[in-house]
Amino acid sequence: MANIFPRWTNLLPIKIAICLGALAFGVVIAFSYYATPKTQRVGYMPDQPIPYDHELHVKQLGMDCRFCHSFAEESGHANIPTADRCWTCHQHVKTESEKLVPLRRAIDKSFEGYTGEPVKWVRIHKSPDYVFFDHSAHLSRGVSCVSCHGNVNEMRVVYQAKDHSMGFCLDCHRAPEKHLRPLEEVFNLDYTAKNYVETHPDFRAAVFGEDYDSAASEEEVQEVVGTFLKNHWDVQPKESCATCHR
Amino acid sequence: MSKRKWQHPEIPANEASTKVWRSAGELEDTHGLRQWLEREFPRAAETMIDEDDRETSRRSFMKVMGASTALAGFGLAACRRPEELIVPYVNAPEWVIPGKPLYYASSIPTAGGAVPAVVTNYQGRPTKLEPNRIHPGNDGQSAFDQASILDLYNPARSRDFLNKGQKVSRATAEKQLAEWTASGKVGFVFGEDDSATRTHLRGELAQKFAGAKFYSYEALAGAGRKASNEAIFGAGAELVADYAQAKAILSLDSDFLELDKQGPVKGFYDRRHVNGRNYDKDAVQNKKNLNRLYVAEPTYSLTGGMADHRAPVAPSQIGRFLAQLASELGVSVAIPGGKFTGKKEKWVKECAKDLAKHRGEALVLLGSRYDKELHDLAHLVNVKLGAYGKSLNAVKTQKAGLANAEQLVADINAKALDTVILLTPANPVLENEALTEALSKVKIVQLGLRLNASANAADLHVPAAHYLESWGDSFTSSGVYTIVQPMILPLYGGVSELELLLALRDGKLHDSNTSALSPAYTAVRKTFDSTVHPVTGAKAAEAAWMKLLREGFLKGSQYALASVVAAPPVPALKAQAEPSAKALDIVYSTDGSVFDGRYIDNAWLQEAPDPISKVCWDNAIYLAPETAKDLGIYEELVELEKKGAAWWASLGFDDRDLKKSDVPEEGEGPSLFAPVAKITINGKTLEAPVIVAFGMAANVISISLGYGQGYDEHFASEFKNGGISYNQDGKGNVSSVGVNAGFNAYPLRGGVDYFAQGASIARAENGATYKMARTQEHHSMYGRALAREISTAEDKLTHKDYAAQIKGVQKQGMDSHIPENMSLYKGVTNGGPITSGLAGREEKPNLFDKSQQWAMSIDLNVCNGCNACLVACQAENNIPVVGKTQVAMGREMHWIRMDRYFAAPDLDQYPEGTDEWEKSPEMIPQPVACVQCESAPCETVCPVNATVHSEDGLNTMAYNRCIGTRYCANNCPYKARRFNFFDYNKRNPLIHKNLYKGPMGVKQEGDSKSLQRNPNVSVRMRGVMEKCTYCVQRLQSAKIEAKKLAKQEALAVAGGSTKATITAEKLMPKTDSVRVACQDACDAGAIVFGNLLDPKSMISRIKDENNKIINDRAYDLLNYIGTRPRTSYLARVKNPNTNMPGKEYVGKATVHMH
Repeated sequence: MANIFPRWTNLLPIKIAICLGALAFGVVIAFSYYATPKTQRVGYMPDQPIPYDHELHVKQLGMDCRFCHSFAEESGHANIPTADRCWTCHQHVKTESEKLVPLRRAIDKSFEGYTGEPVKWVRIHKSPDYVFFDHSAHLSRGVSCVSCHGNVNEMRVVYQAKDHSMGFCLDCHRAPEKHLRPLEEVFNLDYTAKNYVETHPDFRAAVFGEDYDSAASEEEVQEVVGTFLKNHWDVQPKESCATCHR
Repeated sequence: MSKRKWQHPEIPANEASTKVWRSAGELEDTHGLRQWLEREFPRAAETMIDEDDRETSRRSFMKVMGASTALAGFGLAACRRPEELIVPYVNAPEWVIPGKPLYYASSIPTAGGAVPAVVTNYQGRPTKLEPNRIHPGNDGQSAFDQASILDLYNPARSRDFLNKGQKVSRATAEKQLAEWTASGKVGFVFGEDDSATRTHLRGELAQKFAGAKFYSYEALAGAGRKASNEAIFGAGAELVADYAQAKAILSLDSDFLELDKQGPVKGFYDRRHVNGRNYDKDAVQNKKNLNRLYVAEPTYSLTGGMADHRAPVAPSQIGRFLAQLASELGVSVAIPGGKFTGKKEKWVKECAKDLAKHRGEALVLLGSRYDKELHDLAHLVNVKLGAYGKSLNAVKTQKAGLANAEQLVADINAKALDTVILLTPANPVLENEALTEALSKVKIVQLGLRLNASANAADLHVPAAHYLESWGDSFTSSGVYTIVQPMILPLYGGVSELELLLALRDGKLHDSNTSALSPAYTAVRKTFDSTVHPVTGAKAAEAAWMKLLREGFLKGSQYALASVVAAPPVPALKAQAEPSAKALDIVYSTDGSVFDGRYIDNAWLQEAPDPISKVCWDNAIYLAPETAKDLGIYEELVELEKKGAAWWASLGFDDRDLKKSDVPEEGEGPSLFAPVAKITINGKTLEAPVIVAFGMAANVISISLGYGQGYDEHFASEFKNGGISYNQDGKGNVSSVGVNAGFNAYPLRGGVDYFAQGASIARAENGATYKMARTQEHHSMYGRALAREISTAEDKLTHKDYAAQIKGVQKQGMDSHIPENMSLYKGVTNGGPITSGLAGREEKPNLFDKSQQWAMSIDLNVCNGCNACLVACQAENNIPVVGKTQVAMGREMHWIRMDRYFAAPDLDQYPEGTDEWEKSPEMIPQPVACVQCESAPCETVCPVNATVHSEDGLNTMAYNRCIGTRYCANNCPYKARRFNFFDYNKRNPLIHKNLYKGPMGVKQEGDSKSLQRNPNVSVRMRGVMEKCTYCVQRLQSAKIEAKKLAKQEALAVAGGSTKATITAEKLMPKTDSVRVACQDACDAGAIVFGNLLDPKSMISRIKDENNKIINDRAYDLLNYIGTRPRTSYLARVKNPNTNMPGKEYVGKATVHMH
């Protein structure tokens, strides 16, 4: 009986295996790059019903984060402002703007399109349901908004700046000194450790003594300041599961 | 290092041995039970019930797999991040902070007086009830109170106006109301709660309707006691006991701690705490302050379980008992049926002596449903004991002028009424035949939360608003004026009682869908004005009203005391025959799960095991083992249990050869199937399953009321060997929760009696058996000395006094002969601290929390096993309900397992002539949840580190990490872990075989139940292990609060926060400010929880900062295996009277329990 398979097929299984292996490797690499929060979440910039401009309100008008996100220090959840809160200013300012139509629909009873329906903002920073992040806990210990949300004061349209993966959380819980700052400066989005130290000689003396090197990088200064505050305030971020999962 | 010896030494000859058991199977050590125990998760791998299931399941598996493979292609195409919206309020409501709870003071109006409550709200959703601890009438909350929040969210709640079951519009309903009340001959039937606003409205309604009459009716409210009190103290009078004043208490079939309350019981527990409520007193010195409880009752109640001396007495003989006691105390009454003789006589005599010795501090309580004559006699006894004005007070309630159900029937028959308005929470069509018949002659308007038999029979059913949805007021049992505030607008447009009364007064029914303020608010406010200024009726100050709303009560208010109007004559009691095997006494008892039937649609209560029989989702006939034996039912019970063993033995196997898979179906929980028996009384019959109940009086049948309200076609599948005949008429009277649950004993009872004589019982002729879900053998621990007990009296054999017995608590059971624990790690002392020692903390500063180390203790001496903690835990921690079929397989999800042990000396230890009253076994309940071991066996076996230790000493669960291997549960010596075999939260477990249909199964009905969920706790899904984590969500929020305070202080420091130092002490939550859910619910104060590192905390008086026990009465469960649990138990202390017969068996429940 003649051979059914010609000779060249002898290497075929090995070739197929190598191809499949390469393919699988590629899939793994691609998945681990593209399917992580770093790729999936960072840069998420959805259209909002009202194109609210943080850069305008914070940087130019000098509003504090807490004017709108009023309960961030009180509650685990940093609230989005109520329509009422926006309206306190906007019933006087730019009331007729096209962009404010959704707000007026919600609250302006004299507006012809008034429905009373609240403004539906699109969530940008979402942690899974089994993560119980608490804003107030972090703000109470000197972690600024910037550490997780980036420089929102410079964003004309808000986007997700940091990946918010579990690794991101743990990096900071393991080395909080990279982020701690004086409690007064928590909502100051332009804060730099270097600037603070240079403008607060008392503090500089307490932390650095006579050794302050004005040529040191921001990271280096932050680390020294952060370590000082960490010890001073007994900051011991927990790494056990129940800290965030319960 | 010597080898540890584990053999049990022989029991010394001079000590009595005790046998402790949880079920008949354990007592007889049946083969079936051992098989059951040896399996970690009964029926874990196999999820099919029978062949039928297997077949459908395999097929549907292929179907599902095929479908999902096909769908996977479509699915990927939509693999994008879903857009999620954040919708803030338009106008922020007052006080609401998104993500934070709001607490409001309110109360639950009940027959026993209002239960003060603080309601937790998340963004307008009430989620949990806590006791109002600043309320002077605060008396904790029962399982019923805790579970009542679920009634609010019941998806099967009534939401429409109905005419004979047919939907009618609100306008029609209003018209009908006006039409039917036009004649003015209207009867109003209220519940047994008391409300000032209602009393006001009664006056106004009487003016509007010339023929208005007012009644009160609840099925189990105690007609006899009411009649007696009203005759002696005047209309509306009630007796309120002050247990703080009582040092010797005799309860005659009165479950005054739970189901038959007579005033707040806080004082009782205060006197029961051997170390004082704050654990700051020395037990021996405090002995003189303890109380002593005598109980005579036919069947075990939770109060009976707390008794120091307990006699099982048939209900027909309670009168005889009381008369004999009365004559011992000098009341000249003829004893009906003659004196008890022998040891029984001595029992009564010594009890009477002890009561007389404590004159002014003694109290006799008689069950509320005994007849008027007996209550008159009990009054005379209490007068003799000088109880009035001290341990017992008569008060004038506002219930004066409310006639009873008998009067209602008479009035209807006399044609004095055209329309009856039923505002009572009772269900007369189910409960009372005479009343039902009379009601059929008039128009009925019924207000109710659910569509029960009365609602479906009514001419007009009005959907009621839950008490959490309505304005109202109420009085606690001692008459503290208490507010009922709405937390939420009526979910389904319900109408409250006051709103309906106001509608009848004003002719306009309030519609909660409009933005108008409820007229009930105005009415309550008016009542408050006249309560503050009773004479002038001037408007109360706004501040006073705000204070009422904030605190929930009016300071200084209470009922006026009533004095004797007409002293009763000594009653002539009729002799009643002692029950015999031919003519038994039958007791119609209040149910621990459904009360009088009103909670039949409450899934939490249905699933909470009955505190004594541990039956879930059903009721049953209880018989004493001897009686069951005499009647030939018990042998059959044991036979059923042994069937598996006998069969295996006949094949020549012994126990060791049996493999897991060999266990026969019946071996799955030896008492899975209970034999059905038939009760016959007065020509009426009832077929129901029988369970042997320990501690019952001989020849007494006990069955609880309120079950069996409706069946559907699946009920037949609960039986084997035939079944019973039933009809599906009542199907519409229950929701999917209450359907097919239990057996209805109301028809047997007929009237209002508590017990009847001359019943007979026999095994069903077809030999049918019925599937019962009982948790008493679930998660069993082979009966080591888990619950421990000592006595204040000196032990006769060992001559150990109270102090010596306290010292010996930690050496009971295995701990008496097991060498001390040792550690394999260097530098750690024998049995010393590994995780929480100071030294360890310094070495590894990041591993240990310097501000808090949590621990708990549970005092068995004040725990009566009432289930309040279990239900509170369910409410707090989003624990799902799994349904009867799953419970029967041992898959209940309750994090707290309420164990209940019976204990008695070995039968051969009784000397000749021991009386049955002496032989009454003791009952010890023991709640067991995860004990948070410091060296936790579960943690070492988890392959994915889903269960790990936290810095503050918790053994935590990361649900999202769990992959469901169940290794942890296998390795847990306390069996405290629960596994989600199905997606109980998503798929409705109450529909027949629904869980087995996988994704094809029906989802949970509506989303109303998810409104109750605690947003701070994950809702677990299928395949995840869960367990108690000491309410970690509450701990975290307390820690965060402490951080906030520290921050505020730091910011206030001169020179700014960088000048402030924040120490570990500053980050410690305020002493004992964190209370876990079970602790909050426990009115007895049995659960102490706190921070070991806080020297001022209560727990630090029981354990030191290294988790070492310092209170001698405390002990660790399974100490000898070296897990170092954070939860410790405190031994129960009995305070026996040394002259009583049977005293030598009191307080010995655990001495030789291994």
